[in-house]
Amino acid sequence: MRKYLDLSLIGIKEHTAYLNSVWASFLAKIVYLYMQFALWNALFSSNAGKSIPLSHDDTIRYIIIATIISTFMECDVIGWINQQIQSGDVANQLIRPVDYKAMIFSKHLGVSCVRLVLYAIPLSIAAAAFYKKPLICRGQLIYGIISVLLAYMIQFLYSLIIGLMAFWLIVTWPLNMLLAAIYKLLSGSWIPAQMFPDLLSKINLFLPFRAIYAIPVTIITTSMDKADIMSAIRVQLIWLVILFLLSELTWVVGKNKLVVQGG
Amino acid sequence: MSLEANNLTKIYKLKKRQTKTAVDNISFSIPTGEIVGFIGPNGAGKSTTIKMMTGILIPDRGSVSIDGLSFKKNRKQIMMKTGVVFGQKSVLCWDIPVLDTLKLFKDMYRVPDAAYKRNMEMFSDILGIDEFISQPPRLLSLGQRMKADLAASLIYDPDILFLDEPTIGIDVLSKERIRNFIKKINEERHTTIILTTHDVSDIETLCEKIIIIDKGVLIYDGTLPDLKDRYQTTDLEEIIKKIYLAGERKYA
Repeated sequence: MRKYLDLSLIGIKEHTAYLNSVWASFLAKIVYLYMQFALWNALFSSNAGKSIPLSHDDTIRYIIIATIISTFMECDVIGWINQQIQSGDVANQLIRPVDYKAMIFSKHLGVSCVRLVLYAIPLSIAAAAFYKKPLICRGQLIYGIISVLLAYMIQFLYSLIIGLMAFWLIVTWPLNMLLAAIYKLLSGSWIPAQMFPDLLSKINLFLPFRAIYAIPVTIITTSMDKADIMSAIRVQLIWLVILFLLSELTWVVGKNKLVVQGG
Repeated sequence: MSLEANNLTKIYKLKKRQTKTAVDNISFSIPTGEIVGFIGPNGAGKSTTIKMMTGILIPDRGSVSIDGLSFKKNRKQIMMKTGVVFGQKSVLCWDIPVLDTLKLFKDMYRVPDAAYKRNMEMFSDILGIDEFISQPPRLLSLGQRMKADLAASLIYDPDILFLDEPTIGIDVLSKERIRNFIKKINEERHTTIILTTHDVSDIETLCEKIIIIDKGVLIYDGTLPDLKDRYQTTDLEEIIKKIYLAGERKYA
């Protein structure tokens, strides 16, 4: 276990190595939160909420919680793996007596802890201080936390799969740019998933993205039947299993196809 | 640890239906405790062979066995005992102190405290790593970085050590220290060392045996004195030039 802890600590130290970038990220997140808040307020005040299935308050709550969660849900794994493949540094990772995916996960976990402490918690306090109405459904919070943890794993596995594809595609971040656009829309990190038109909602049922934001954020912010909560968590569990199997498959294919770049 | 390579072949796909045979049916064996120079011109397939011997690349044909173990079955067991230094790629984490990487390897390879301490003292004595151990690699000179890399790969007492151009771009004095260090490790621990280099004096001072490959094919596998006898000169640089030139003409 010690080695994984070391890797997490390295993740923490690397993320905080440049203090200026930490401050810049923090300010960016505050600006983003305010932007989302102002945008949706303006939207509701100009539209009077006629054709929107969520109420004004529900939407604002959803957006605030989604933005806070996104600060530690972010995942640099695709970038890490791409960079290691492009520079050939991946060779130095594959000679270790530790599973490559486990090493990546440990480091990611370390970085996420930093993000939780440096971004998510201060942002939550700020949101709670400025938004006077209740933000979360306290009774469902425990399910919400479970759902966030599942979402965190789903997010990681999704990034791992795209990242590992670099083992034979060499560069996958342009692919990721395309997927990122789809991801941001369908996961519900920008726009609450309940607002999607019918067709989009149906497509979304067959994709893992809504399990990352839409499901956990809805559980945290909207009061739901216990049965509905359970079925939402079941959807997440199913995606977790599917993505885990896919990531193992990608790994097996990838390590056989790997070409280490440069001398 | 001894190493045996049997009919190693690696073929890279370039474009559609175009392939390049980087390593072509190479076999050799390296007994425990030897320092072997693994040489060849740029693009000969040295690095590809090293990457197959360290289990990073999977050969298209043939196999590598280390002390009778194979990467397919005993990967972790082999990795625990293998050290690798790529002169052109650092194993150290770029933004954090060298010491943190060393500690990571201590835990990863389960190095006992006493052995860790003993090794750290030795690295400080010979390589002088104590001077820069608390700095991150991005602030180190190339020579310091290479010494730190050597330390990181030897902190867990590997039985087999791969050095891929460990003296590339290093000044004369540091080179000598690195060579002495490699020699000492080999003498004290009987570590098997496989060394690739373009520096003839590295080979002269360190290697008893050399393996030469060119265009992915094995050209020579034997002792250094035998090679000199064959070409009737003691000038190793001259011999290597002749071999490389012959290779160029043959494939031209």
